Amino acid sequence: MSIRFEKVDFEYSPNTPFAHLALKDVDLEIPMGKVTAIIGATGSGKTTLVQHLNALLMPTKGTVEVLDHRIEAGKKYARIKDLRHKVGLVFQFSEYQLFEETVLKDVAFGPKNFGASEEEANEKAKRALTTVGLDEHYYERSPLELSGGQKRRTAIAGILAMGPEILILDEPAAGLDPQGAAQMMSLFRRLNTEKGITVLIVTHNMEHVLEYCDEVVVLDEGQVLMHTDMKTFFENEEYMERANINPPAIVRFKALLRSRGLDVPSDILSIEDLAGFLSRRKKK
Amino acid sequence: MKNVTLGRYIPLDSFFHRLDPRSKIIGMFAILIAVFIPSGWIGYAIIGAVILSCIFIAKLQIDFVIKAMKPMLMMMVFLFVINVLVIKTGEPLITIGKFTVYLDAITQTAYIVVRLVLMIMITTLLTATTKPMDMTLGIEDLLMPLEKLKVPTHDIAMMISLALRFIPTLIDEADRILKAQASRGVDFENGKLGEKITAIVSLIVPMFVSCFQRADDLADAMEARGYVVGAKRIRYKTLKFHAGDYVVIIVSNLILVGMILLWVYVK
Repeated sequence: MSIRFEKVDFEYSPNTPFAHLALKDVDLEIPMGKVTAIIGATGSGKTTLVQHLNALLMPTKGTVEVLDHRIEAGKKYARIKDLRHKVGLVFQFSEYQLFEETVLKDVAFGPKNFGASEEEANEKAKRALTTVGLDEHYYERSPLELSGGQKRRTAIAGILAMGPEILILDEPAAGLDPQGAAQMMSLFRRLNTEKGITVLIVTHNMEHVLEYCDEVVVLDEGQVLMHTDMKTFFENEEYMERANINPPAIVRFKALLRSRGLDVPSDILSIEDLAGFLSRRKKK
Repeated sequence: MKNVTLGRYIPLDSFFHRLDPRSKIIGMFAILIAVFIPSGWIGYAIIGAVILSCIFIAKLQIDFVIKAMKPMLMMMVFLFVINVLVIKTGEPLITIGKFTVYLDAITQTAYIVVRLVLMIMITTLLTATTKPMDMTLGIEDLLMPLEKLKVPTHDIAMMISLALRFIPTLIDEADRILKAQASRGVDFENGKLGEKITAIVSLIVPMFVSCFQRADDLADAMEARGYVVGAKRIRYKTLKFHAGDYVVIIVSNLILVGMILLWVYVK
């Protein structure tokens, strides 16, 4: 089982003067059990792509396969609710979706919609809140009086409480302070390694891709420009050039060292490795 | 959500697009009043022909205008049913069991429907050919005489333009929240009454919160750029009448006068 796009086109407002082809002939297979980064410039179709995974958008052409679901263009799909139960999608600026009176109720809202009883839902909500690092002091508070970062955590807990097999995050760290962003990203990494949840992250932050992701999908103007594993991506300068991204600091630093005549092996991708390499060089 | 055609501006280049918004607003009001004068079928035929040729001159597609009427369809059907049930004068037309449909019911409904259609057509012509911002400029200018009566015309115009400015933003926002809640298992289409209410609450509360937040931010942004309520202000864009504008005002008012004459003398 995996996530598969076959010749998918998606057009916004078809047959009107405002028609816009957002995805063009997308063929893509995303493996389960990994953390995949989806990158690309603004307007390249990242959000449109991920919204196909829980049938918020239906392809105008082609098919999308997710788990045991198969969504074909032009056909009504009957098992949408089951799909949305298994694929949790956290929107950009997800804090705007909070609406209940208390944090606990808001997080329990998702599980309840998918048929959990009041108690079950509360139990799941409490577990999800613990996972995102909000303790029982927050349960009875209004989500609207929390800080921005806490609201974001509450919203993410709201999706986690549903118990998704695939977790999709649309720019989860946007607008957070660097520390909060790093905590958020390591949480997703942990969810993947500890619980085996497949994670897809839409992001602009290359440092995060380097540190927390296994695979990279690059979109450009609605098409898949490339799909490789993270190491290959950051080891090859021509890849990064083609993807038109600003490389992470460590990669830029390596390039600088190389331009001064120091031959740094390309598989060094962390500060620790680079420091080790440099000290070994010095001893020689 | 995004397929609303009623009141949408269509960027084209035509005689009507180039007109001063003030003359278009004056012209529209003249025709609107003319539509409400009971000048009989001849009168409506004339107005209809004029509006249709205007739509043609404005290069608008007739599909677009027809689409704008869709929301009114239910209302028209409703009117028809009520009229058929209530009006019992004129020639009896058909009798079904104990129930008789009278001629007046049909003609009355037809009158109302024709009026509605003409009104929608003329207002669509205005909104489709006038940029929202130009429209508010026009409204502000036309309200100017009320300034003497201490009516805050500028503030009213500012409020209208802000409201218009934020319609697309709010539609996008609603779309986003709708999708976010759908991802949490909310079903906006089916479900029992209780579920429907929760579904709507889950949309409205976040919309309210973000509207207030936006309003706060906007007020700060405006003040940061020197906006002072009630201050004297000059304009970047000034409106000017051209020959075409006089033609529109004169023609529309002639139609109005014509309809009044038709009503008074022909009846």
